Amino acid sequence: MNFYFFASPATFFRLAGATAPLLFVAALLSGLAGLYLGLFVAPTDAQQGEVYRVIFIHVPAAWMSMFIYFVMACYGVMTLAFNTRLAAMMARALAPTGALFTFVALWTGAFWGRPTWGTYWVWDARLTSELVLFFLYLGFMALANAFEDPRRGDRASALLAIIGVVNLPIIYFSVQWWNTLHQGSSVSFKGSSMHVTMLWGMLLMAFSFWMYAAGAALVRCRTLILNRERRTRWVRALS
Amino acid sequence: MDHQFYLWMSYGVTALALAAEIVALRMGSARARRAIESERGLEEQD
Repeated sequence: MNFYFFASPATFFRLAGATAPLLFVAALLSGLAGLYLGLFVAPTDAQQGEVYRVIFIHVPAAWMSMFIYFVMACYGVMTLAFNTRLAAMMARALAPTGALFTFVALWTGAFWGRPTWGTYWVWDARLTSELVLFFLYLGFMALANAFEDPRRGDRASALLAIIGVVNLPIIYFSVQWWNTLHQGSSVSFKGSSMHVTMLWGMLLMAFSFWMYAAGAALVRCRTLILNRERRTRWVRALS
Repeated sequence: MDHQFYLWMSYGVTALALAAEIVALRMGSARARRAIESERGLEEQD
């Protein structure tokens, strides 16, 4: 398989156009199933009552905030190592959606924290490192758009994405490394301490957010391609 | 405060944020296509 064929903006533009609607449909269906399980089927939590149902968006949003940044850093490596235009555009396309999920994780966390901890916000290691991630996303977008030559912006923001990836293990392990108010993980690769319907509701919502993020990034990348390649023959030929 | 307030604030703001991003994506795409059409129109005039 020739990967350079898929790295061509013209090929990618057509492939992304065909794939994005399917991803959005998958996101909608799995999201509806996840919400049904989470809001109507999963039992009430013995300690937190009904308010725990915030986890069906809070936890998947927090996972996506870290995962998207990791993918952006991988695209950053590809941008600097191979100087590929498409990798840089994908990193740019992912950043707003990553920032959105980070905001959702922080916001829903605050509205979960108030009734369970008694406060919307605390300068706890997990919360603070997640806030730093939000600023990293904002910094990435600001830096990428700070240059007149977009290729320079691509390289500078790629470097920031790679440096910022050090924050991800800090977020993930913060609840183990420090004495935090935030609870530890209920789900890990070894298993889960949650009720099965709670777990499936959360996993379906995580899948939905994943599909949504991929679809949104593809649509945004198509727009970036149109803007950058608008003087090329193949873009001119588009109806 | 009632738990419904916290749930609505969480789910409602998430739905609004996602809706805003979808609108922004559609607007961005439409703007890019309009720019291409406009450049093409200018070239045809020349």
